[in-house]
Amino acid sequence: MNQMAPARTYSQIVSSQFKRNRLAVLSLNVIFVLLFIFIFADFLANDKPIVMRYKGETYFPVFREYGVNMLGWNWQDEFKTQQFKILESRYEPGDWAIYPVIPYSPNEYNLEVKLQPPGLVHLFGTDELGRDVLSQMIHGARVSLLVGFVAVAIYVAIGILLGALAGFYGGVIDIIIQRLIEIMITFPRMFLIITIVAVMETQSIINIMIILGLTGWTGVARFTRAEFLKVKNEDYVVAAKALGYKDFRTIFRHVLPNTLTPVLVTATFGVAAAILIESGLSFLGFGAPPEQATWGSLLSSARDMLPSGWWLTTFPGLAIFITVTVYNLVGEGLRDALDPRLKQ
Amino acid sequence: MKKSFLIQFSILLLLIIFTNSGIRSLVTPEKSEAGDGNGIRVDLTEDVSIFDSSPMDLEPRQGGTLVVAVSAEPENLNYYTSTSAAATRFLDYIYEPLLDYNYETWTFERPIIAEEFNISEDGKTFTFKLRENCYWHDGQPLTAIDILFSFKALLNPFVDDAPLRSSYSKVIEAHIEGPYFFSITTSDTYFRNLELLGGLAIMPKHIWDPKGLMDRFSIADLQNPSVTREEASVREFAEAFNTHAQGRPVGDDAEQIIGSGPYKFEKWVTGDYMSLIRNDNYWADNHPYIEGFSDKGAYLDRIVIKSITDPTAMLTALKSGELDFLPRMRAVQYFEQTNTADFVEKFQKVSYVVPAYSYIGWNNDKPYFSDKRVRQAMTMLINLEAFNKYVIYGMGIPTIGPFYIYGDQYNHNIEPWPYDPIRAVELIEEAGWVDTDGDGLRDKDGIPFSFTFSISAGSKNSKYLSLMMKEDLRKVGIEVNIRQLEWSVYVENLRDRQFDVVSLLWIGGLETDPYQIWHSDNIGDRGSNYIGFRNAEADSLLIAAQSEMDKTKRNALYYRFQEILHEEQPYTFMHYQRDPGAYLKEFRGAKWIPIRPGYKFYSWWRAGAVQGAPL
Repeated sequence: MNQMAPARTYSQIVSSQFKRNRLAVLSLNVIFVLLFIFIFADFLANDKPIVMRYKGETYFPVFREYGVNMLGWNWQDEFKTQQFKILESRYEPGDWAIYPVIPYSPNEYNLEVKLQPPGLVHLFGTDELGRDVLSQMIHGARVSLLVGFVAVAIYVAIGILLGALAGFYGGVIDIIIQRLIEIMITFPRMFLIITIVAVMETQSIINIMIILGLTGWTGVARFTRAEFLKVKNEDYVVAAKALGYKDFRTIFRHVLPNTLTPVLVTATFGVAAAILIESGLSFLGFGAPPEQATWGSLLSSARDMLPSGWWLTTFPGLAIFITVTVYNLVGEGLRDALDPRLKQ
Repeated sequence: MKKSFLIQFSILLLLIIFTNSGIRSLVTPEKSEAGDGNGIRVDLTEDVSIFDSSPMDLEPRQGGTLVVAVSAEPENLNYYTSTSAAATRFLDYIYEPLLDYNYETWTFERPIIAEEFNISEDGKTFTFKLRENCYWHDGQPLTAIDILFSFKALLNPFVDDAPLRSSYSKVIEAHIEGPYFFSITTSDTYFRNLELLGGLAIMPKHIWDPKGLMDRFSIADLQNPSVTREEASVREFAEAFNTHAQGRPVGDDAEQIIGSGPYKFEKWVTGDYMSLIRNDNYWADNHPYIEGFSDKGAYLDRIVIKSITDPTAMLTALKSGELDFLPRMRAVQYFEQTNTADFVEKFQKVSYVVPAYSYIGWNNDKPYFSDKRVRQAMTMLINLEAFNKYVIYGMGIPTIGPFYIYGDQYNHNIEPWPYDPIRAVELIEEAGWVDTDGDGLRDKDGIPFSFTFSISAGSKNSKYLSLMMKEDLRKVGIEVNIRQLEWSVYVENLRDRQFDVVSLLWIGGLETDPYQIWHSDNIGDRGSNYIGFRNAEADSLLIAAQSEMDKTKRNALYYRFQEILHEEQPYTFMHYQRDPGAYLKEFRGAKWIPIRPGYKFYSWWRAGAVQGAPL
């Protein structure tokens, strides 16, 4: 008689499978680092102090900035111009300030130090206006990751909805949605995006996210539809129907959870693709507005500076490379871990 | 999918590493401040002489090909209907005017098609005696009939040349007096009349109007709407003229453009190049052509004008030998990327002043910029000196007004506004812009001081300027939004006056008439005074100056006009530009002149063993 192994839940199995893939685990850690940068960019690179003591009072300028931007607070009168570095000359004894690790904001320019190669003051050097490249990259990471996540979230939502409808109902709805997918995929995506961006009145990251979301859903819809076709005649679905549940409940409570895994894998690859497209668009000048630093626009502005300004292309290029690679590796690891055929 | 990604990115990574490390080793470590590395700087100062940047060790000789790059390709090659500078520059080698500038005195009097000219005592009738040895490229003689036809074509109200025609509205009659005598009369005196009438490029009648549709009409008829509306052949000619095959000679079997100039049209391959070949039957082929400049109409056998839009690609093409002459590069390329010993040995770098100035235009009808104190403050808030020094590498020459800085019209008594943010803030507050609601943004009558700076998508300098402005003005409580627009949209918005702030370049000449840009008549209706500058005294000065034929008196009026502009600051006048360029050292006779584009190929020739070598 065989000794039964202790029962493991599905997620435990998947996670142990995933952990076997060292490269994927490493990549996941890199993604966590990127997420950390994403969330705490303002505390990592900023020209405002995190905490400062000024004329006997303690202030938290970085937090205050969030208040000003999101809650409609005002700056204290003495900080109206937000030039904290100039205030240093007015310090009284006992005043101090703690600055972020990189004490430069991405838009703060200083022409006198333009095109400095990487050094101790500017770790990744400066650009044509003397802006700190590392600071721009940290804030650019925000844009890149945000574009990746939001665009993919939009298209996964659209794709799942349409795929579910097509797969669950079949018939005319299926035919219409399938033709819609075919129409969408006949357009070369980059070309379609550039065309849409060109007619847009204003340049903004939000537009890019929406456009990427609206053009990317076809793959997800096809996956979902195929999974639905596979699952919809399973006993538990038939049971749900027999119990008289509304279609909505059947689709979203019973069928969908069992079809999501392949979609999640495509979504991971999708984040990488979206980051790449955003970089491409910004490189071509169609992406973010000029004052917004993104990896792609950094690369683009550095193009004229080769060969002397090597640091301007190397670091943003590496950032894009690493980010896209780790997302792909994680997606790959996830796919293998979810594949029952590969279970050991 | 994942594999292809990985491969792509590994390649990208390797490319980044290789390009960077590979090319870097070629850069000479020290950047010399002056001398070889930074080329020759041509400042044609007040004596406006010609500057020769090549050694004069050899006798000029005929032959060779020159390949030059331009950034824009023209839409069409019809001299009158085309609005692109690229077309004009190309066609100037094919068509010719009656007169041109004398390159020594810089007055408009050098005979070309006209041998002599005479102005009547009242200053309204201009008579030209034509050269009798001028021939079209197809061998037909060039006579007064062609001159008369050219003016008729220009003034035909249905020809698509409104911007050009508007300058000629005062022409009332023209006559032929024998095959080589032509006279033309205007209704008023105007100081630019000789330049306008003598400077019109002449087109062949036998090519453009073979049916003689315009023969029946006089100039007076064409200026009379009741005649032009009635007569069908006026419109019929215009339609044929606008769509004539000579206006767009694309491809191998295209009809050759027939002109009379020192170069003949060879070929236009759209998206690639346009080319010219030498006219061996030119009247000045064995005569002196331009005193002090060129003994012949042309030395080079062939000129190829390549269109390359991207500045990086242009420089690469020059380095790889695809180009012989790059007339305009970015300052950063000139100062940072062309300092290698190889480059300096092979190419001659030169920077030359052209009569074009950059400015920031404030829409005077917007609430923020309606007060001159705010406009003055804006000028004082922008650190133009730092912009010039660091962004354009000192290639700008600060200007206070719209006239050519080395011309007679420029008022040198006016001091530029200083960079003075403290005084600027005082002025802005005097004008009533203070932060009343405490949101960190100045406001007045409930309008926050937040405006949009429109920049053209291709211009890096405007982009840097706007980024600097955004950061600097934020510190004094003013918000700048940057909007990047495609050039066609940009121009459209400009004409419709849909903008807050723009930054552009005006291209002028040695002597200009500021009426079009500054008179209040030209506000709205797509006029050039799109920023909405209104000033009664300036208006009357501009009108008075137009008919003042005495140069000293006229310039006195323009001096006063510049004082008004300086006080009002409708624009922030930035800089006259030096264009940095480079050409292969094998070429000689590279001379620089104070009229655009700064060089003419009549004087260029190629030394070395390349006589007649193919491209």
